[in-house]
Amino acid sequence: MNAAAPQLELRRVVKRFGGVAAVDGVTFQVEKGEILGVIGPNGAGKTTLLNCINGVHRLDGGDIRWEGVSITGMAPHRIAKLGIGRTFQIVRPFGSMTVRENAAVGALFGSAAARRGPKEAFEIAEQVLELVGLNDKAAYPVSALTIPDRKRLEVARAVATRPQLLLLDEVMAGLNNVEIDEALEMVRAVHATGVTVLVIEHVMRVIIGLCRRAIVLHFGQVLAEGEPEVVLRDERVIQAYLGERYAKRLRASDGPQDAR
Amino acid sequence: MIARTESSARWKRAFVILGAAVAAYALLAPLTSLDAVQSAGVPLLADRLWFRLATIIAMFVVMATAWNIIGGITGYAAFGNVAFFGIGAYTTGMLIAKAKWPFLLSLPLAPVLSSAFAALIGIPLLRLRGHYFAVASLGVGVAVGELVQNIDYAGQPLFGGATGLFLPIDAIDNRGLFFFYLMCGAAAISIAVTWLVLRSRFGYGLIAIRENEDAAAVIGVNTTAYKVAAFALAAALTGLAGGIFSQWNVFINQENSFPIEYNVQMILMALLGGTGTIFGPAAGAVLLQLLIQFLGGTLPISFEIPFVSETVRPILAQVILGLLLVMVVIFVPRGVIDFFGGRSRLSLSSLRRSLRDTSL
Repeated sequence: MNAAAPQLELRRVVKRFGGVAAVDGVTFQVEKGEILGVIGPNGAGKTTLLNCINGVHRLDGGDIRWEGVSITGMAPHRIAKLGIGRTFQIVRPFGSMTVRENAAVGALFGSAAARRGPKEAFEIAEQVLELVGLNDKAAYPVSALTIPDRKRLEVARAVATRPQLLLLDEVMAGLNNVEIDEALEMVRAVHATGVTVLVIEHVMRVIIGLCRRAIVLHFGQVLAEGEPEVVLRDERVIQAYLGERYAKRLRASDGPQDAR
Repeated sequence: MIARTESSARWKRAFVILGAAVAAYALLAPLTSLDAVQSAGVPLLADRLWFRLATIIAMFVVMATAWNIIGGITGYAAFGNVAFFGIGAYTTGMLIAKAKWPFLLSLPLAPVLSSAFAALIGIPLLRLRGHYFAVASLGVGVAVGELVQNIDYAGQPLFGGATGLFLPIDAIDNRGLFFFYLMCGAAAISIAVTWLVLRSRFGYGLIAIRENEDAAAVIGVNTTAYKVAAFALAAALTGLAGGIFSQWNVFINQENSFPIEYNVQMILMALLGGTGTIFGPAAGAVLLQLLIQFLGGTLPISFEIPFVSETVRPILAQVILGLLLVMVVIFVPRGVIDFFGGRSRLSLSSLRRSLRDTSL
């Protein structure tokens, strides 16, 4: 283990589906303790990138390193044990279980160096549900939860695995403004417990509100990288999102007031 | 809401009492066949037919409960578990008939060999999901039976071939009683194993796999290892039942050790009783086996069906079983335990709801 190495490092990562390179030579680093945003238009390869990091997809090229050690080709459960947790864009709760049990199963497995028994797992579940604001609904069956609450549960289960790095796949998608504010608070609270966060988002407000650094993906490649406010004014980014004509019109006027 | 909770609690209590009464009767009735008890003037409650029926029921309790571990808890619809029953039967049978081992020494090898085989085929098979796994496991179930009947070694059928395998008759006093209690012991072990699994980290991992395998993997469940372990555990218990069956029945062949209809029956029992529960499959096994025997006309209480001759009655029994499977899946997808708990009802709205749920 190399102390100088970044927590997570992607080197020219490639993932192809047939002839399409969904992720095409992506290189970036995640530093310990930051909140890194990954944005990009639909089909840019954001979710595929996440699936590459946590081992759901096998890479067609490149290398992924965790604290300086290659994790390329590892099975998802082994990557989870290393301390990389994730959520799914389309929530995947364990439907027959209660909210509390869902979180407890996360704690029962996950990144444990020491094995936890069911009793400890349920204690951790209580703490995590408190953190994401689901503690008063702990005994509910999953089917009784609203969409925003299901997204919270998705985060709770991932946090209960005690990750060092948490990959969030569009947890804010489909939420209204008030719900987004609450979800932002939740992500900040999780981050405050010492977890590095990588957020994939569509909602610009979220990236600006959370991240000091953002990466823009377009057709599977890194288009821009830097502070969110700066990146979002980048002409290539505006073109990628809104098309060339709109970019020209923006150039003619003052520039984007609100990149959303 | 409160009223419903009260009524379901009442139903639950009634069921526990009924179940305990049936179990107590089944476990105590055989004792009346002992000579000492008979000479004391106690009426005989268990004759030869009773023992035959009760032992078969206990055998199905083992198989349905074992199937529940892979099919109910893990959610992998294994359609070929009868292969493990047959392998267990032939392991014990071969050791006794050919190697002249004593029964109690050869019996432990039945679950060992069955689970080893399950682990071996489970590694490739359990990569398949949904229908693909069901079909592939059915194929294995049929193939193993054919292999056992048709493998020759040096011109001789290795496992007795089409004539089957005759075991030396064991000299055990109160034979019926002995094998009935032995099979009940296997049933108790299966239920205890299910209880332990459902309380363990292993069990939570299996349920997570059933509910969403991808989500289970990313929280750190080694899905392949867990599925193979669940499959092997189910196979071990099924093989144990097969091992007991071989010495009890003294004669084994492809037909009685690899009956394809057992595959459907054990699944139907688990569905009927309630998949994923501890006692559901056992309750389903008792109910369904009694029904099968009743339709087959082997129970003392029988019935006449107009326009149906004796020869087609077994076929009619199969038709009724098929219809029952359809009814169970549509109306009580979570088992009769749930049904009598007041959460499901025989109504058009529940039919519509369950059709909507299952077609998702």
